[in-house]
Amino acid sequence: MTITTGPDTDLVQAALEQVWESMLYAVAEPVPSTAGALANGLEATITVSGAWNGELRLFCDAGAASQMAATMLGAPADEEMPELDVHDAVGEILNVVGGSVKGALEGESRLGLPQVRPATSLPDPADCVAVSWRGAPVYVQIVSLPA
Amino acid sequence: MSIGADAFGFVRDHVRAESAIVLETGKEYLVESRLLPLARQTGHDSVDTFVAELRRTRNPALMRQVVEALTTNETSFFRDSDPFVALRQDVLPTLAKERPGRSLRVWAAACSSGQEPYSIAMTTRDTPEVAGWKIDIVATDLSEEVLAKARKGEYSQLEVNRGLPVTTLVKHFQRSGINWRINPDLAAMVQFRQLNLMRPFGPVGRFDVVFLRNVLIYFDLATKRDILRRVRQVMAPDGYLFLGAAEMTMGVDDAWERVPAGRSSVYRIREDQRSCVR
Amino acid sequence: MRALIVDDSRAMRRIVGRILTERGFETAEAADGQEAIAVLESMDDLPAVACIDWNMPVMDGLELVTAIRARPEWRDITLMMVTTESEQDRIVRALAAGAHEYLIKPFTPDALVEKLDLLGLVPTPGGVA
Repeated sequence: MTITTGPDTDLVQAALEQVWESMLYAVAEPVPSTAGALANGLEATITVSGAWNGELRLFCDAGAASQMAATMLGAPADEEMPELDVHDAVGEILNVVGGSVKGALEGESRLGLPQVRPATSLPDPADCVAVSWRGAPVYVQIVSLPA
Repeated sequence: MSIGADAFGFVRDHVRAESAIVLETGKEYLVESRLLPLARQTGHDSVDTFVAELRRTRNPALMRQVVEALTTNETSFFRDSDPFVALRQDVLPTLAKERPGRSLRVWAAACSSGQEPYSIAMTTRDTPEVAGWKIDIVATDLSEEVLAKARKGEYSQLEVNRGLPVTTLVKHFQRSGINWRINPDLAAMVQFRQLNLMRPFGPVGRFDVVFLRNVLIYFDLATKRDILRRVRQVMAPDGYLFLGAAEMTMGVDDAWERVPAGRSSVYRIREDQRSCVR
Repeated sequence: MRALIVDDSRAMRRIVGRILTERGFETAEAADGQEAIAVLESMDDLPAVACIDWNMPVMDGLELVTAIRARPEWRDITLMMVTTESEQDRIVRALAAGAHEYLIKPFTPDALVEKLDLLGLVPTPGGVA
């Protein structure tokens, strides 16, 4: 029996760096230690099933999410983005991260469609890969699930 | 937030004056995507406001960074495509008739992170006239840092998306974690070493083909002339030299002649100069 | 020259659409494979190229490629997958189904334009197809 190990944090970090560079025109820097907790958070989730079963969960502040959406869509950074666009953009960021991560795993896996909603609870940042979006933290948590 | 025509025109004129590289209309996306990181670093939300400040202040450091952002680190596979078509359709088939020993040596000077020599290696594999030949590619660069990456032969998703037809990607690369790695049979064709074009080349041997693209633009006329003269000395008399699209030997070193090849041109040592190089 | 963008993400449709528009394409959009077929059926002037995501609800990109390839009247449309699916065997499967090119997400704007150039899809300035 082959046991496929899930993605490690280095892999998720590398995927985030590529997305930051190409979709957000930014460098995925580490989160400054002064970053506070998420006040008004968004949570995006995408499932991977097959050789590895689990989820990637992305958490960020709604304000940072709106700025990321504006950057992706080429709108001025301070423009108020409709919620639909913000959710869609954050979902697509996680979709691309998830696809890069899934493609690097051993064996065959399938990627689900991203789901985005207001965050109800936040993971322990110590369990997450964290990168900065203009100083605001964006967390990605790797969660292994039973098949 | 597309870049405005005014801002584009200013950047185009500046880049052209500084590098002889021409950004045609239609390259707005390129200017915007390359300059946006620079705009962000200097506190601007858009390339337009960044360029507006640049026009006002003419900050020399920023002006130079703009040229660099638009001209250097251009390291896609099969960059400009035409030279590789010429290599496959004209240069390699012609050389194949002239080399009974069934071996060729190619020099990729200023190879950066390796895309060019690997593109040459892939092209030789796709050229039936030299199938089964011994092909040695010497790839050099000034920077040990880029050479280390080149030797590894591993490229990110963003890098393999640049210029590589997908059939070529799946044929010549394997996934390696999140990256893609060049297949070992191609990697074995390329030898990387550090070399400074401004100094004597040392014992590099003799080459049938030399790629010296988009590097002369960074040197003054006397240095260009000296480099081209020394390249002649390490080339087979009937060899081929590839320069960048914006570069030429005319007025620099007239021992070369420009000959059409495919949709582009290559440079050969003029017949009357060939005895001198033996 | 026309282009059809098929992606369930509005953001991605806008990103791709913006690059293509700046390159001189006229663009149309669809959010899944079935919608793409309806858009194609309603068009008098077929697109030169369709940029197709893989993972979409209702009908995915691979099914769409197969469906387009089954229609002789659509054989001149160049099909380019633009997707986060990046395993070698997936790419080979899409090519076998009839895709001509494949762009892996994430990508830089240059990469998309270069792929179109490789395919010979360069709109003539002034809009003459």
